Amino acid sequence: MDPQPEPVSYICGDCGMENTLKPGDVIQCRECGYRILYKKRTRRSKFCYL
Amino acid sequence: MAAKPGAAQDFEPLRQLFKPHIESFDYMVEAGLDTMFEHIKSVEVYDPSTTKKNLLWLTNPELYPPNKERLSRTISEPLLPFECRQAKISYSGKLCADVCFQYDGGAIIREKFNFGAFPIMLQSKLCHLRGADPKKLVSYKEEASEMGGYFILNGLERVVRLLILPKRNYPMSTVRSSFSERGEGYSDKAVLIRCVRADQTSVSVKLYYLRNGSARLGFWIKGREYLLPVGIVLKALVDTTDHEIYVNLTCCYNEKCEKGKGVVGTQLVGERAKIILDEVRDLSLFTRLQCLEYIGEHFQPIMDGLESNSYPFVAETVMKNYIFVHLDNNFDKFNLLIFMLQKLFSLIDQTSVPDNPDSLQNQEVLLPGHLITIYLKEKLEEWLQKGIKLIQDEISDDSKKFDFCSLAHVKKVMEKNPARQISSAVENMLKTGRLATQTGLDMQQRAGYTVMAERLNFLRFLSHFRAVHRGASFAGLRTTTVRKLLPDSWGFLCPVHTPDGEPCGLLNHMTSICKVTSFFDAQGNIKDYFKIKMSVLKILVEVGMMPSLPKLVRAGPPVVLTVFIDGCIVGSVPSGQVEKVVAHLRRLKVSSAAVIPDDMEVGYIPLSMGGAYPGLYLFTSPSRFVRPVRNISIPSDGNENIELIGPFEQGFMEIRCSDGGDGGRKSGFPATHEEIHPTGMLSVVASLTPWSDHNQSPRNMYQCQMAKQTMAFSSQAIKNRADQKLYHLQTPQTPIVRTSAYTKYSIDEFPTGTNAIVAVLAYTGYDMEDAMILNKSSVERGMFHGQIYQTETIDLNDQGRKSDRTSKMFRRSNLDKTVSSFLDSDGLPYVGQLIKPEEPYCSVYNEVTNSTYTCKRRGSEPVYVDYVSVDVKNKKQLQKVNIRFRHPRNPVIGDKFSSRHGQKGVCSQLWPDIDMPFSGTTGMRPDLIINPHAFPSRMTIAMLLESVAAKGGSLRGEFVDATPFRSSVKKDSGESGSKSDSLVDELGLLLKEKGFNYHGVEVLYSGVYGTELTCEIFIGPVYYQRLRHMVSDKFQVRSTGTIDQVTRQPIKGRKRGGGIRFGEMERDSLLAHGAAYLLHDRLHTCSDHHIADVCSLCGSLLTTTFQQPQRRPVREIGGLPPGKALKKVFCHACKTSRGMETVAMPYVFRYLAAELAAMNIKMTLQLSNGAGA
Repeated sequence: MDPQPEPVSYICGDCGMENTLKPGDVIQCRECGYRILYKKRTRRSKFCYL
Repeated sequence: MAAKPGAAQDFEPLRQLFKPHIESFDYMVEAGLDTMFEHIKSVEVYDPSTTKKNLLWLTNPELYPPNKERLSRTISEPLLPFECRQAKISYSGKLCADVCFQYDGGAIIREKFNFGAFPIMLQSKLCHLRGADPKKLVSYKEEASEMGGYFILNGLERVVRLLILPKRNYPMSTVRSSFSERGEGYSDKAVLIRCVRADQTSVSVKLYYLRNGSARLGFWIKGREYLLPVGIVLKALVDTTDHEIYVNLTCCYNEKCEKGKGVVGTQLVGERAKIILDEVRDLSLFTRLQCLEYIGEHFQPIMDGLESNSYPFVAETVMKNYIFVHLDNNFDKFNLLIFMLQKLFSLIDQTSVPDNPDSLQNQEVLLPGHLITIYLKEKLEEWLQKGIKLIQDEISDDSKKFDFCSLAHVKKVMEKNPARQISSAVENMLKTGRLATQTGLDMQQRAGYTVMAERLNFLRFLSHFRAVHRGASFAGLRTTTVRKLLPDSWGFLCPVHTPDGEPCGLLNHMTSICKVTSFFDAQGNIKDYFKIKMSVLKILVEVGMMPSLPKLVRAGPPVVLTVFIDGCIVGSVPSGQVEKVVAHLRRLKVSSAAVIPDDMEVGYIPLSMGGAYPGLYLFTSPSRFVRPVRNISIPSDGNENIELIGPFEQGFMEIRCSDGGDGGRKSGFPATHEEIHPTGMLSVVASLTPWSDHNQSPRNMYQCQMAKQTMAFSSQAIKNRADQKLYHLQTPQTPIVRTSAYTKYSIDEFPTGTNAIVAVLAYTGYDMEDAMILNKSSVERGMFHGQIYQTETIDLNDQGRKSDRTSKMFRRSNLDKTVSSFLDSDGLPYVGQLIKPEEPYCSVYNEVTNSTYTCKRRGSEPVYVDYVSVDVKNKKQLQKVNIRFRHPRNPVIGDKFSSRHGQKGVCSQLWPDIDMPFSGTTGMRPDLIINPHAFPSRMTIAMLLESVAAKGGSLRGEFVDATPFRSSVKKDSGESGSKSDSLVDELGLLLKEKGFNYHGVEVLYSGVYGTELTCEIFIGPVYYQRLRHMVSDKFQVRSTGTIDQVTRQPIKGRKRGGGIRFGEMERDSLLAHGAAYLLHDRLHTCSDHHIADVCSLCGSLLTTTFQQPQRRPVREIGGLPPGKALKKVFCHACKTSRGMETVAMPYVFRYLAAELAAMNIKMTLQLSNGAGA
């Protein structure tokens, strides 16, 4: 029923790799397995007038 | 500059400051736990049915470094401090130990128990950061200069407070009026000694003087004090005769020297000795065995687990566990008791003065490792006791099948009392700073052992580790004696760095050079105290000490002086030789080859006329203060004659200042030691004030306070931090004028201010009363820009009931389209986004109820989302987020600034650059204008010096050294010739060379009129700090708003939108002005204005009720608007509505009437019209 939510990009706190996760995904870096991820900085223009 | 760019910085001086904390924890990890486990008494369970005994004791403690809990058991990954801060968990490692079981003296069976996750101190031997160089630390996401010394508990950093304790193992004569309340015949005088065991637990013993000449020994068992006649204890300790005790006690009295120097005994001592012996005889106790039986009989009910033992055994245990616990030999205890009696009698006869318990001479410090050890010991003992109680309950319960001989059964019963609680008890103690103990652990306070290590700025953080608190019990004292600055603390505690106000003088800070002795020697090996004692003893005997053999009667002062090593009498030295012995010991102390530790305290109290009780007291124990001074009696060209001295010996030493003078010393007392540098008397924070010797002293104290409230460059690892609140200065600078301490302690890592061009003039009137004008353009260019970072942690596991924990997740609602501009599809905000108050920043979806709720921003200002970090605790789902917000805090009117000289001010205007005055020659405009009235009464000359010096320094492109007490340091021969004597001359010449005015003044032109100002203006760069008090966090406005539910008055509190109290004094001022209408408006109309119905017949406010008038149906049918129904009020008491009147009154008055009625008090109002009631 619900539209599939769009994935969100995170940056690994250890190796800096970008991870794109969907809700329900395991919170873990695909590269190094680190479990602290930071959200990526978003560009203002993209969301401002949504 | 300290280091070239690129070169690895050495933070060793900084590391020294944190040493006391880390070393004490290191010792605990390395050897302290083992020692403590040895001291835990074994317990015994007896099963009457099988007549078997089981002996239980603890051994082999093991503490592991912090590791992550992983699914794969084989590989354990290290848990880093950064991760603990981020995930709000504790930095702790596993604590394991063996419990040994032994049935009837058979084979010993060991069982390993897990005592849970034990908090680990950062940078201790078990910490992963230990030994990491700055580069490595940065890779661990720490500061390059991370010093450790604190614990991370639930993501918060906490430090154990250093507390002052009475000096261990030193008998102190005391006068306290409370002693005479002990009982009938007690005087107010006593000698007390705090005895400390090897495992750092302590038991205090007091020796009271009775007015009849006898004495009582008092000691505490389980929160009660027990008093024993000394005679019994003396006799019970060793096999001795009355004659021997008499001779021992009276040896300090010599008829030949009646009233000479250093005489402590009088002929009364003999009389008192007789009384003491008579007391024992009156109880018909003659032999040692009789005394032991007497003690044993009285103490058997109190001592647990000794019910079946003989009386002498009980007595021996009492003496072993409670009397002079630092000694294990009864002869030593006997000698010490004799000495204490002699000291007590000398106090009574006024041949010696009481020791001052508030003086640092008689104090030491409580270290974190020691506190944790003694707390852990008590918890382990409790656990063992509870364990055997559970086993005993199991044995006595016949219905259960309990096999006492089966270890599995015993272990299972013991597991009922989880061993993991031990570590969580320690963690809780560190989290709350509260000791949950029955016995009190011989401590004066229960709470306040730990504090949060705030990282507001580095100086504040550092001060937490250097602070020494006198104890919470002294804070309530009305007398000021405990707060006084005594000369004894010279060089150990900073006289400048103490807060003014409530904790003044109670919270002190160690000087920068002050150290605390530890269990580790200079090479990092654990000291062997037995070996040290033996070697000191050997040396002492070599130089002429007569060792105290058992039952060897010695003479007393002034013939010989008693020699103590850590509270144990080891012999006596003839008083003629003692100075030679002291000098010899000091020489050996300094020489690196000798076995004598370099931090041994040689407390030589010389003979005097009624001064302190003489003796030679040697201390090698840990947790004493020490500081380095130069021993000038030892020739050396380098630093080989640096000796560590303690506060106990310092009072009797001749230490001169290093200015080359004699300090007014008479030739009879030549100086033996010399201070290394005069700044050694200052703490780190105090020594950062430039030329503090030119300031009035309270200004330096204010600066110490303000330095710790400065909004500074808080952290270099700021992007890795998740502190609840973090202040950050965007554009810090290094000061042009700085002290040597600034470079030594690498404060450049965390600079605290900006070099602002300060003009001292009265301009526009906006700089009156400590206000200051900031140049608007300077601010816009970035001066004093800053922000507050605030972290919000949302853990779905913590919230709500257990059942719906699993069903919660972060998700944006698809139905509510309005939130999509604020929230990303994962229910979290976009990074970098601006969030205004009442806008959502996070949305949580509940799967069970299929509902979504959003967290909304509180507060009054818009914030930016700085970062969003997600991590998982155990489950795979996203359950925990840290969202960090950034509050911009650029300077606005009302923000607080200060120079480094206790000169604080509030920004009153951001003045446009074009209207600022400008210099005639350079065209420069000041960044900041302060009023000249700030100087005359405050006398902060150093600020003027700083201005001139910084001007010269910036013209020449070099930093200026502003270390205080420059004139009190011996000048090197080459330097003294070239420079002039006066500092002002020197600084003035620098300016003159560059074509500026010698006095630092310049011709300024008015920015508004362009005319030359009538005076030359003093202008130059001064290092200014921005204080954390900012209007944006403080302003409070309200017209109408929330009211209190009970009183209907406006509420207080900025957070809740409350008002500011219009109090009694404000009321008085309005009354005095005759502003009655305004007063009525403020206190009544705008507050809890209320129209009450009062029954004038009975005068009651409460019996009136409002009755709903009967509706007339006719009107409704007619379709007419309902006419104003007459309010019908009815008195319940009078059963009528005749006498109803309306009266305006404050609503609290009605509340008062109701409260009084609840207490059965009737309030009657008498109503009248107008005046003349």
